[in-house]
Amino acid sequence: MSQTITIDPVTRLEGHGKVTIYLNDKGEVENAQFHVTQVRGFERFAQGRPFYEMPSLMARICGICPVSHLVASAKACEAIMSVRIPHTAAQLRRMLNLAQMVQSHALSFFYLSSPDLALGMESDPKMRNILGVAAAKPELGRAGIALRRFGQHIIELLGDKRIHPGWVIPGGVTEPLAPAKRDEILAMIPDAYANLSLALNWYKQIADSFKPEAAVFANFPSLYMGLINEDESIEFTDGALRLIDAKGETVEDGILAPRYTEVIGEAVEPYSYTKFAYYKPLGYPEGSYRVGPLARLNIVKSMGTEKADKELAEFKQLANGPVESSFYYHHARLVEMLHGIEKIEAILADPKILDKHVRATAGVNRLEGAGQAEAPRGTLNHHYKVDEDGKIVWANLVIATGQNNNAMNKGVLQAAKHYVNKGKFTEGVLNRVEAVIRTFDPCLSCSTHAYGQMPLVLSLVTPDGEVVDQLVRS
Amino acid sequence: MKSTKARCLLLACGNTLRGDDGIGPWLCAWAEERFSGDSRVEAIGRQQWTPELALDIAEAETVVFIDCSAASAPGSVSVQEVRPAAATQALGTHHVGAPELLNLARELYSSLPRAALLVTVGAGSMDLGEEFSHAVKAAIPEACRLLEKAVLDCLDAASSC
Repeated sequence: MSQTITIDPVTRLEGHGKVTIYLNDKGEVENAQFHVTQVRGFERFAQGRPFYEMPSLMARICGICPVSHLVASAKACEAIMSVRIPHTAAQLRRMLNLAQMVQSHALSFFYLSSPDLALGMESDPKMRNILGVAAAKPELGRAGIALRRFGQHIIELLGDKRIHPGWVIPGGVTEPLAPAKRDEILAMIPDAYANLSLALNWYKQIADSFKPEAAVFANFPSLYMGLINEDESIEFTDGALRLIDAKGETVEDGILAPRYTEVIGEAVEPYSYTKFAYYKPLGYPEGSYRVGPLARLNIVKSMGTEKADKELAEFKQLANGPVESSFYYHHARLVEMLHGIEKIEAILADPKILDKHVRATAGVNRLEGAGQAEAPRGTLNHHYKVDEDGKIVWANLVIATGQNNNAMNKGVLQAAKHYVNKGKFTEGVLNRVEAVIRTFDPCLSCSTHAYGQMPLVLSLVTPDGEVVDQLVRS
Repeated sequence: MKSTKARCLLLACGNTLRGDDGIGPWLCAWAEERFSGDSRVEAIGRQQWTPELALDIAEAETVVFIDCSAASAPGSVSVQEVRPAAATQALGTHHVGAPELLNLARELYSSLPRAALLVTVGAGSMDLGEEFSHAVKAAIPEACRLLEKAVLDCLDAASSC
């Protein structure tokens, strides 16, 4: 008799999703699916709006990574305007995007995943949260909070709001950087280094104890994609796309935003509202690829900053070729945070950073434009078409979580096959299946809020709907 | 990031686009206006309370949390003392409650405010919209009066130490 296991909702994620695990007559895992159960519709309701509204409108997609949407959207608008923004504006946007990356990675690593890492996958679920971490490892909790506040405060200083800052606009930014704000950010840098160092050292001490998980947490060959500079260093705001294959060989390089449709296709599955991106030449689903911290570190030759470069060299020692296990997204996240702090410090040392020329202006000069940026969890592409009056007639967004969708589903199946034994499971098994998804830090919808309790229910259900076993986490 | 310690920190929570859920930020803005010019009072209004607020709490001498309550009768106003508590359920992605925030402040920074109060207003409707329900509208004068008293009591508690 075949059975189904459902994890609904999956906890400690950005947004709402569920997992279904299908068992065959022998109780072995046959298939697993990660469902994103919410629908947003931004591409549709943007139609008819003036293109210059798009950055602030699109930023509402997400409460964690609105800056990446702002940047990608503004770049798409600038393609429509046919303008090149001033150097200082580009640097300020870069700093804003890096600050967002730091605060978002801090949320993912310290708030969402460190309970598993610090307390154990099998630890008491009532304690497996940030409060449990605070009790067991207060120094780690303090570092996480400080790093999140570091990123948030920079965003607030630059954009006047911690969430959904309206500072980034088509053509640049609304205001130049004030000297007092520059000095305030610089004053926070030493503490940020110290907190990041504490976290990185701690992670390296405990990482080996999770080798069994690393072996089955989405540990398989795939393609990897991300933005990269011409000198092959990591890039979050500009640059061009590179795709590498499972052996680390470059299969696509120098792909700018307008050309993304040449290489990236999007498939739809009936069980999820999130699309499934794939590399077109290999087709769907064979063209599955990964984006985000793991992918970015796999495609680059350097981080472009001294401290992070040392860490990158150590990271690359994890494998002979691309690092395949998604467990190491955690490690990659910490390396990127270090890079973010270094890069912010370097940007503030730019002699032109206080320049007053931070905006280019123009009207509609093209009827189509695309822009790309790296969100914390992966590459983001905004693509718009407008009419002669500049009103949006079509929009398409390729979001990081959709690009990791195939890998997440495959990873859930790999972990379920390893941990679910003859239809038997424990809460710790359930948590490990969820933890696979957490490594990717998917952003299903940060700006959607839930009321009341979010109980976690894992059920064994027969094809005729009979619940034969159930585990409830309330 | 802050150079002075708030004598009384107002910490409100709620979504202003979801009817009565927005009463917390509304009351917070009212109190900010009422105590404008009083450097002892600091106000923070958020859609959700998140763990990083534990540092603000640890640095404050007293705290007044302001929220709506889905468990209370619509329009009923309540002021109660809050004590640190462990999570009673798996914490949500972003949101933590007032007792958990106090607990975080104690665990992470070994610091607790001298007094911590929670002011709540019972919600009648949290449907989409920026208007309050009739019950909550009617309760606003009483909520403002009790909130003002809570802040003054906290300032007294802070200055007596």
